Amino acid sequence: MAKIVLENLGHSYLSNPKGEHDFALKPVNLTWEDGKTYALLGPSGCGKTTMLNIISGLVPPSHGRLLFDDQDVTSVPTSARNIAQVFQFPVIYSTKTVRQNLAFPLECRGMTPSKIKQRVAEVATLLDLDYALDMPARKLSADQKQLISLGRGLVREDVSAILLDEPLTVIDPQMKFMLRRKLREINRQTGMTMILVTHDQSEAMSFADEIVVMKDGLVQQSGTPEELFSQPQNDFVGYFIGSPPMNMITLEPNLGSLSTEAINLTKPLPAAMPVGNNVSIYQMGIRPEHIVMVDKESDSIGKGTIIKIEHLGVDGVVTLKLPTGVIIKAKTRKHTEMTLGDTFGIRVCKKNALLYIDGTLSSSLN
Amino acid sequence: MLSSKHFFLLPALLTLVAIILFPLLFTVRVSFSSWDVFQSGLDFIGGSNYVRVFADDRFWQSLQRLSLLSIISVSLQYTLGFALALAVWKQVRGGRLLRVLFLIPMMTTPVVMSVIWRTVFHESLGPVNDILSAFGVGPVPWLSSATGAFISVLIVEVWQWTPFMFLLLLAGLVSLPKEPYLAAAIDGAGTWRTFWQVTFPLMAPITIGALIIRLIEASKIMDTVYVLTSGGPGTATETSSYYIYIRGLRDFQIGYSAALSLVYLVIMIISLTIIAKLLLRTLVGKDE
Repeated sequence: MAKIVLENLGHSYLSNPKGEHDFALKPVNLTWEDGKTYALLGPSGCGKTTMLNIISGLVPPSHGRLLFDDQDVTSVPTSARNIAQVFQFPVIYSTKTVRQNLAFPLECRGMTPSKIKQRVAEVATLLDLDYALDMPARKLSADQKQLISLGRGLVREDVSAILLDEPLTVIDPQMKFMLRRKLREINRQTGMTMILVTHDQSEAMSFADEIVVMKDGLVQQSGTPEELFSQPQNDFVGYFIGSPPMNMITLEPNLGSLSTEAINLTKPLPAAMPVGNNVSIYQMGIRPEHIVMVDKESDSIGKGTIIKIEHLGVDGVVTLKLPTGVIIKAKTRKHTEMTLGDTFGIRVCKKNALLYIDGTLSSSLN
Repeated sequence: MLSSKHFFLLPALLTLVAIILFPLLFTVRVSFSSWDVFQSGLDFIGGSNYVRVFADDRFWQSLQRLSLLSIISVSLQYTLGFALALAVWKQVRGGRLLRVLFLIPMMTTPVVMSVIWRTVFHESLGPVNDILSAFGVGPVPWLSSATGAFISVLIVEVWQWTPFMFLLLLAGLVSLPKEPYLAAAIDGAGTWRTFWQVTFPLMAPITIGALIIRLIEASKIMDTVYVLTSGGPGTATETSSYYIYIRGLRDFQIGYSAALSLVYLVIMIISLTIIAKLLLRTLVGKDE
């Protein structure tokens, strides 16, 4: 077990990076506490796998340092790094049985047969693989194979962290849910740090204590799922976290405050007004979950006409067109009672309407 | 119903009939005749050619020799080809040039190459014995002793067909996924363990394909034997196809050689099917 610190850690696959855009992972400082679960979340090609491969030692970083429990491991090779990694496609030794697969990392480390036997039995129980121990590993289903990959990491007592590189991608939806729960369970039982790379926000939200959202090699925000949902630091996080994404409504500076014709909700104007050509873009970010649709228009901040209703089971996503042409989405449970063309009033709690200046959350004015 | 679209199949079907079906059926018919240099034409003598085949020790010995030759040569080709492929698989300096050089033997015409090898192995004029004598090793009867001739044929076969194995195995290696290697590194496996636990099992399907293709080709060996040793000394390097050639085209026992060919064909089909199944079972583990 270890605390993992990324100290100004960055990587460029080019030997001589000329600018920021040459970095697959732009230098970042992060601290990951021992025993917690983390998720690296972002679209494809955002640098999550690069970051993971740097931590496991498969890619040596071009910049910065990596510390495990305050020990510099930046140039320590993978096998000496006490890291376990599970890949997107289950990796098993196809000629071996489940038992031999689980024993393999210990054999490579020269452990005694009695110790190996004991560890394999423990891990097999933990993963519910007891019954399959003597089966050829290749005969198991994809999710069980993925458990074997995980087991080869768990069986080692020296493991500091388990890195999971989109391990649930090839798993059936129902099994995915079970495997995710299993991972959480193992984390609680063993207290092992787990780092999950994924592009699926619901996977990240339900798995991790803390999520690191990335885009274009840059860490956008790192925080608990609640923080990312309620206080997205920029428009990308607002867009990427939450389904449907956050509504962004453009505001105009007007008589000392920021407002829009679309809805009757104002924000105070920031003290330092940009001058000249540096005109800032002001936006109000409202989660679809925070929009309440009401029949009476009197105490609402605006009104909208329904142009689309999506049914998601209990919830529904309603797309509303405001009189100014602005389109917003709202999440509601009353969607079954609504029909296209209906007009509804809109109510939003002021604290849930966040101000973004040039795409970044303006914390002082919210 | 026959419609106009079926006529488009006709050219392919006619070709198939002309080059496979007709020769095969004709050979079957010929094998029941006594067609030879004295009596040409298709008479019918029942299965007596086949009775003769089963009593022909020279044929069964040639088949044994062929089995030994192809198993040893294909094993050596596989081992050497795999080693060479592994050597140029990882980025090495001059790797591209080496790849091309390794392929040259395969591109050469077997007859031309065999003539060159015959010169190389020539007991008094060839360079091999000349070089060996410099080390005090006495003249080796490369082509005039039974063992020497067998080894010579083996060397030429391996020399010519290792590049083919190399090419197939290299193509396989290049297409292997990266993750198993990363996982093996994380599990702490060294080079040797990684090869046996990751590379070898992943290469199993390609291995099977390459071995079967080479075994089929190797059992047809004819030109090398013809040029290098003419089956000799005595019958020391006589393989099945060369023996069938002797009976059919040198002795003109057409009916009998047709029966030999068919027996040979059936044995090959059965044994290669069994070998393929065994390889599949041991290497890929398709046991159910």
